[in-house]
Amino acid sequence: MMASLWQYVLAGLVSGAIYALVAAGFVLIYQVTGIINFAQGEYVMIGAMTAASLASAGMAPVEAGALGIVAAAVVGGLSYLLAIRPARSRGATGVTLIFITLGLDVALRGLGLIIWGTNPLSLSAFSGGSSISIFGGVIQPQALWVLGADMVVFALLYIFFQRTYAGTAVRAAVASPAIASTFGIPLRTFAFWSFVAAAAIGGLGGVVIAPITSATYDMGLTFGLAGFVAAVLGGLESLPGALVGGFVLGIAEKVSGGLVSTGWEQGVGFIILVLVLLLRPQGLLGRAVRQA
Amino acid sequence: MPRSAASYAIGGFILFAVIAIAVWFIPPYYTGLITLVGIYALVTIGLNLFMGYAGQVSLGQAAFVGVGAYTSAVITVKLQWSPWLGLIAGGIVAALVAYGLSFVVLRLRENLLALATLALGIVINVVFNEWDFLGGSSGFSGIPSFALGHFTFDLRAHAILSWFLVALGLAFAGQLVRSNFGRSLIAISAGELGAASVGIDAQRLKRQTFVLSAVYAGLAGGVYASYQTYIDPSSFGFLLSVTFVLMSVIGGIRSLWGAPIGAAIVVALTQVLQAVVPIVIPSARGDFQSFFLGVILIAMLVFLPKGLVSRFGEARA
Amino acid sequence: MSAALAVREITMRFGGVVALEDVSFDAEPGRVLGVMGPNGAGKTTLFNVISGVQKPTRGSVTLGATQLTGRDVAWIAGHGVTRTFQTPMMFWGLDVRESIAAALATREFGGIFPPGALRSLVPSGFGWARRRAADAALRERADELLVTMGIGAIAARPTESLSFGEERFLELARALAIEPQMLLLDEPLSGLNPDEVEIVLQTIVRARENGIGVLLVEHAVGELLSVADRVVVLDHGRKIAEGTAREVAADPIVIDAYIGDELG
Repeated sequence: MMASLWQYVLAGLVSGAIYALVAAGFVLIYQVTGIINFAQGEYVMIGAMTAASLASAGMAPVEAGALGIVAAAVVGGLSYLLAIRPARSRGATGVTLIFITLGLDVALRGLGLIIWGTNPLSLSAFSGGSSISIFGGVIQPQALWVLGADMVVFALLYIFFQRTYAGTAVRAAVASPAIASTFGIPLRTFAFWSFVAAAAIGGLGGVVIAPITSATYDMGLTFGLAGFVAAVLGGLESLPGALVGGFVLGIAEKVSGGLVSTGWEQGVGFIILVLVLLLRPQGLLGRAVRQA
Repeated sequence: MPRSAASYAIGGFILFAVIAIAVWFIPPYYTGLITLVGIYALVTIGLNLFMGYAGQVSLGQAAFVGVGAYTSAVITVKLQWSPWLGLIAGGIVAALVAYGLSFVVLRLRENLLALATLALGIVINVVFNEWDFLGGSSGFSGIPSFALGHFTFDLRAHAILSWFLVALGLAFAGQLVRSNFGRSLIAISAGELGAASVGIDAQRLKRQTFVLSAVYAGLAGGVYASYQTYIDPSSFGFLLSVTFVLMSVIGGIRSLWGAPIGAAIVVALTQVLQAVVPIVIPSARGDFQSFFLGVILIAMLVFLPKGLVSRFGEARA
Repeated sequence: MSAALAVREITMRFGGVVALEDVSFDAEPGRVLGVMGPNGAGKTTLFNVISGVQKPTRGSVTLGATQLTGRDVAWIAGHGVTRTFQTPMMFWGLDVRESIAAALATREFGGIFPPGALRSLVPSGFGWARRRAADAALRERADELLVTMGIGAIAARPTESLSFGEERFLELARALAIEPQMLLLDEPLSGLNPDEVEIVLQTIVRARENGIGVLLVEHAVGELLSVADRVVVLDHGRKIAEGTAREVAADPIVIDAYIGDELG
């Protein structure tokens, strides 16, 4: 019993790592623009599908992966330029923007269906070798790539925001957008790059998880919704929260999925979401939310 | 000029009459489509009340449709009662579920409300999938159709029924929004504090509107169940909820006439896309038309955020 | 009948800031109570506490025998205390007449929707004619109110098209529509031209004559003193003076507080 529990935890760490990446993308965009980008999960799908289809066409996995990330990043940038910016320049706010990202999500998923159809695509693992045993639990070598990607991304984010001039400027702009613009800090440019970065991060997540779960057309929805929950759980205004939220959610899902039934894996996430929204809307690591 | 309450009722019944006659002359396939448009329009009217008038968001409306459908299925299949009872029960149970959820959900605003309704919609869907009493992922089959005396409803009758309900729904909603209820809802959507300062109880009104939108959705679900005779959880998921939002936006979220118009446009478009796209792009599979629907949704929101109806007619519906 | 508003030991502390400390006073029906004080004195916070926008850390607000502390805004408005805001809160999407009708309905029908979930779901075909008649009566009453204030001409204008002054008038008319016992006005004169100021002042006087108690926060000290029966002065969250307009104007403590604000 304990052995399988530990196995579930390990599985949860792996999926949680991807949730953390998706959540980081949400938080990034939310912090810089105040928008909740419902399409965030689709960047995962685009990264995974692009890499998988390029690899099956003969490209080396690492190159295919890199192009997958680039593809996702490009789509992210286009999302901002074609959907968000025109709307905001026409004064769209609040609910309208929510619907726009919803439309973006649906459109990107449809695009995936048009290009790749419904068949899952597989991507070979980055490194060979047999499963690795940790304290009696077993994980695939690819899982280490997943966790590694997580560490790298969050380390880079930390360095960027805390240790570079650009990152400090972004933090200032986020804290006081009105003042920031009077100092000439280009909010629109930041918004654009936040979308590009969030998409790239999501795409990376898709690329590293594809060898484990294969690339499917609906993985965007699954990872997107889970990433949501993770982001809200950790605190929509907190990048460390995204990391924490991702792992907590991943583990909670796999444990309850193992103990109860796999169908409830998804349900657990949303029950957690509702509880968080009710009891602590600012999330585990967020500051108190202003109720206007 | 703002429309009078009566104009909704009159217009609704004229539309119903037109359709009731038209179904005798058009091919059965289109009759089926018309039935579907009617069912979706019914849901969208309720959604427009909640989103357009009260100014809230619901990304989980498909779940209420499902609740109505499953309730009706349980009543007619397991209890062997009349589908008419099932229909009414569908509306009632959906209302009860909405009432309960409203205490959880309506304290939240905008972004968080959107997330919460999304989440609850999915949780309800998971319940449909996991609860064996409801047939789990296989759903319910053998749901009986409506009947009046000895006459079992055929395709035409279902179309007539669904649009009869739309007409009723328009009439009821029309006189609601032309009354002080509608004014108060608009006041709330402008800003809850301003409304509260003259005594308008936003929470209560939002709750009533939420429940009302669930009734519309639940009734639609009841019709859907008997019309399709088979339901399963996959019919009531997130994508359907987004489709309702799309119908709402295209028609105009603060427009009651926008509901049937938006529903008709989306259904028609889906049909066209499913016919045309595979010819042009053979690799397209599955719900690929969602690409175009998504693009249209974005384009509408960017260029015509108030929907088509406000552009061509109905001022401040 | 008309009751006094009793504000007792209201203290408001958040995040290390003391916005209000131990503020107590009475506001009588049929009297105008001016609330003065330099910037940051806590006047708007005081209004927020009385009207229910914020809950005080300590203290109580009662209207006659009714305890208002801790209640929400709509409840308090329904029980006799309403307010206007520094920036008028308009009902975008409605026109002027409809905005007032929306407010009137809380008075006329005892609530926007008849209580009882079931009744609210009954198709109103059953009461159609009655509702239409009641609605027509509402709109007439709204027009009356507007004419009394001298702004009958704007009745059909959409709120989006109103000038700032007209927005202030509408907010005032809306507040009066619910026939409050106490009316809190938060800087109703700022941003108005002299003619508009005159209309608002006359409306205040008329309200007083009708037995409504008015609490008036206003930076235009001259106008405030011209219409106030009594004045309460706040500084840094505390009440530093209370009395008639003349007494307060001559009070050295008050003068000190204002000069301190100008220099400081």
